[in-house]
Amino acid sequence: MIRFACALVLAAAPAWSQAQSAAGPEALEWLRRISQATETLSYSGTFVYQQGARTETSRITRMSGPAGGIEKLEVLDGAPREIVRTKDETRCYLADSRTIKVDRRSDPRAFPALLPEQVGGLAEHYAITLGGVRRIAGYTCQAIVLTPRDDLRYGYTLWADMRSAMLLKAETFNAAGEVVEQFTFAQLDIGNVSRRQLRPPRAARDWRVEQAGVVPADLAQSGWSFGPALPGFRKIVEVRRMLRDAQPVGQVVYSDGLAAVSVFIEPIAGRMEKAQVGLASMGAVNVYTLEVADHLVTVVGEAPAVSVQRIGNTVQFQPPQ
Amino acid sequence: MVEDTKSRISALMDSELDAREAQASLVALREDVDARAAWHTYHLISDAIQGRAKLGMRCAHRVSARLAHEPALIGPLPSAVAAAQRPRWFVPSALAASLAAVALVGWMAFAPQPRPGPGIGELARAPAPALVSPAVQKRAEPARVPMTVATRDYLLAHQAYSPRNSLLGVAPYVRSVSAEAAPGKP
Repeated sequence: MIRFACALVLAAAPAWSQAQSAAGPEALEWLRRISQATETLSYSGTFVYQQGARTETSRITRMSGPAGGIEKLEVLDGAPREIVRTKDETRCYLADSRTIKVDRRSDPRAFPALLPEQVGGLAEHYAITLGGVRRIAGYTCQAIVLTPRDDLRYGYTLWADMRSAMLLKAETFNAAGEVVEQFTFAQLDIGNVSRRQLRPPRAARDWRVEQAGVVPADLAQSGWSFGPALPGFRKIVEVRRMLRDAQPVGQVVYSDGLAAVSVFIEPIAGRMEKAQVGLASMGAVNVYTLEVADHLVTVVGEAPAVSVQRIGNTVQFQPPQ
Repeated sequence: MVEDTKSRISALMDSELDAREAQASLVALREDVDARAAWHTYHLISDAIQGRAKLGMRCAHRVSARLAHEPALIGPLPSAVAAAQRPRWFVPSALAASLAAVALVGWMAFAPQPRPGPGIGELARAPAPALVSPAVQKRAEPARVPMTVATRDYLLAHQAYSPRNSLLGVAPYVRSVSAEAAPGKP
């Protein structure tokens, strides 16, 4: 009987939280504060990325500045990999292939930041509530829970430092409530970052440089159509870019304000290796590959498999008149 | 597709081709959608005959899903089409058994529709994509494939546009350099 009662309570809990949440103003204010802290704080720390049974430890350093700051991520396990990111450019240093991949933004205004005024719009697709208080890496953190209103997006639990609003931990969960991926700081120092810590690797001076060469594009002009986007997702950017120094690849990005899905389109003929058609998953990232009109369509998103598939299956080609 | 190509694919499956012929058939598989479809179909039939467990419900589900979206399939006599395309390794008794199975699934798929005429009309009006057959097949159950090193590039290109960066900073970029998608890993 007790077990039955427990089951009843568990079953009722999601409905209860849905009904409760017109997204509390306090929870929304927390999201704004986190977004602001991510933009303005200087910090350095060690964080663990976990998906499935895999964990990977990285060091993150951020120095704020008038131009939007500079951030560096160094993977500490396995082959050395580093990413240095500014507002306009991301440089990815891969020691195993002695390559630097440079991704320069075509239009800094197209930066899809979660702006404070957009936070309220998230409540349309997520129930946003406050969770409990918990200590993480020495900081007392408030939990903020974003529960999706449909199965087209994942849910998130965020833990932010009560004092600075710095995000200490983020979990992504699926419709079954299972955590599919998480980022957790194991150690964090806020403030006291020097320029020296943000230098790119010294060995990279003679590495090969691959430029993404991102330019705005209109794929409809070439005959591509994408059907209606998923509920809540809208097109936020459309560009043409290089991937792996081969042919230009079209990229269309959809977002619901928090999750994003990219559709890449490239001619099959120009590819060096044969791509496998199907669905691949890594943590919260799902990649759906299909062939449409002698082109390879690759849908990449921090969204459930059903979402990347639905977006991929609407891609069609009609030769332009 | 040329019938000859199909028989070569059948022979390729049975390891009956020499290196040069095999190479030619592999090229056909890479470049010809129909050839790939034949390859897939032959394996499906082969699996069905040998009763490999992994097919199970999924095969029936896919067959019925395709039938449900392809009213044209019930037009011509399936046995005539199948006989013309019969691969060499295909034993007649197994063909009969397999056709019977497909016919049964087909019958079950169409059974609930009282009048075939209007039913097909309804199907035609259903919001199906222009390229019905491959799209339906993919929708039913996409193949699970491993992440490859090329995936890193897509992830890196994608990450720049994720609004989650506003909450997590550079941290999500770790996925685009993750060791899971590194060379030498499946």
